[in-house]
Amino acid sequence: MPPLELVRCNACHHRFLPTDGPCPKCGSVDCTTYSAPPVGKVLAATELHYPAAGFHAPHPLLLVEVSDAVRVLAIADGSLPAPGALVEVRSEGDVYRARPEPTR
Amino acid sequence: MTLHVASVGMGRFGKRPEGLVDLAAEAANLALEGVGRKTVDLLVVGSMFAQGPHGKEALLPRLAGRLGLETASGFRVDSSSGTGAMAFHAAALALESGRFERALVIAAEKMTDRPTAEITRDLAASLHTTEAVAGATMPALAALVTQRYLERYAFPTDVLDAVAVHARAMAVENPNAHFQKAVTAEEVAASRPVALPLRLLHCSAISDGATALVLERGTGPATVLGLGQGFDALRLIDREELTSFAATRVAARRAYEKAHLTRKEVEVVELHDAFASFALIHTEDLGFCGPGEAPRWFESGWVTREGRLPINPSGGVIGRGHPVAASGLAEIGEVALQLRGEAGRHATAQRPKVGLAHAVSGIAAHNFVTILGAGGP
Repeated sequence: MPPLELVRCNACHHRFLPTDGPCPKCGSVDCTTYSAPPVGKVLAATELHYPAAGFHAPHPLLLVEVSDAVRVLAIADGSLPAPGALVEVRSEGDVYRARPEPTR
Repeated sequence: MTLHVASVGMGRFGKRPEGLVDLAAEAANLALEGVGRKTVDLLVVGSMFAQGPHGKEALLPRLAGRLGLETASGFRVDSSSGTGAMAFHAAALALESGRFERALVIAAEKMTDRPTAEITRDLAASLHTTEAVAGATMPALAALVTQRYLERYAFPTDVLDAVAVHARAMAVENPNAHFQKAVTAEEVAASRPVALPLRLLHCSAISDGATALVLERGTGPATVLGLGQGFDALRLIDREELTSFAATRVAARRAYEKAHLTRKEVEVVELHDAFASFALIHTEDLGFCGPGEAPRWFESGWVTREGRLPINPSGGVIGRGHPVAASGLAEIGEVALQLRGEAGRHATAQRPKVGLAHAVSGIAAHNFVTILGAGGP
């Protein structure tokens, strides 16, 4: 699983998921991307039964916390994990997907 | 300069056969009649949706022509579900500049003539692009927030059911509300899942509707005492807190400061309960109780028209219906009706002297607080 790309703000040290703008906390553009393990903990999980046009029901969405307390909104692959579960997170362009972390 | 709400015009919310311009004109004419058709020199209109057939393009001149206001100046504003409140705030700022005497503020939306999936997608357009491309919708993000809220305070989902029951009970007495039938907690808990823990009856509905009001120089029972706005990160994952909305807290603090009032002096509240859990979060963020205390208020009946602090006597967004742009102005309009003693069957037991209206844009990225009250400074 490739590492996850995160961003560190060099002005306020806030860490966040790549976005199309500057640091969401202080507005600085002085930011550096870095690699982080692609693993996180599910904070919340739901299935949309009335998805937006272009998506199919039930559409599973997760709020995941990865390293440095950075949060990711991810589509769940497979069955919906419960809050607290560990997942692997990968990005496909702007979209993030998560699946249960394989047992080691 | 002191401003006051001189009249409120509101048509019925719900599934309406009329188009956007007709809905807006209906509310506008009611508001204009309320001031005896006195001259209006400023027109501020808010709408989020409605493509060509409804006249979103050039909505403002269409309405100006329809209402005979071609001599006025005008602006159109858009802040998704907070649009109506933004229209009011924009009108107030323009009047305070001293260039205008009297404003007609209109907020209207036409939604029920399009498929739910399309409306859901267009509502999600107010979210961050990276959220929308993952298929996030307003109820989806609200569900994630709701889970965090319930987990943080170890609440059962019953606390959400109580909010929905309250909203629908209030709406029964509001002839303009979309929903005219009360529901039981059992019915709420058995309604279809939208995005668990949110079920259908925990969520606001897709509605048509419009609100208009006349804002003019002077004082009255619904004088503008304080206005406040607040922003938060557009992307939910960038928020420090998920069980409280900074945009509300900032907007409330600014409005209370401007009004030289505290939450203790507020006697009626209209807040933006697009989802049942949000009513709880807003009640806490507006300072009426501490974090995690709002469920007790709804379960104990403290928020009914006879309660210690009536909240959403109109039925709120869940009970009145949610024509998105119109809701923010309907919230202000309801507070004005209560203060002016014009709320009819949905009037609070004690006529209030100070009221607060709260509106939310998107997933609480840009929120508005408006405090109205008797007299002037």
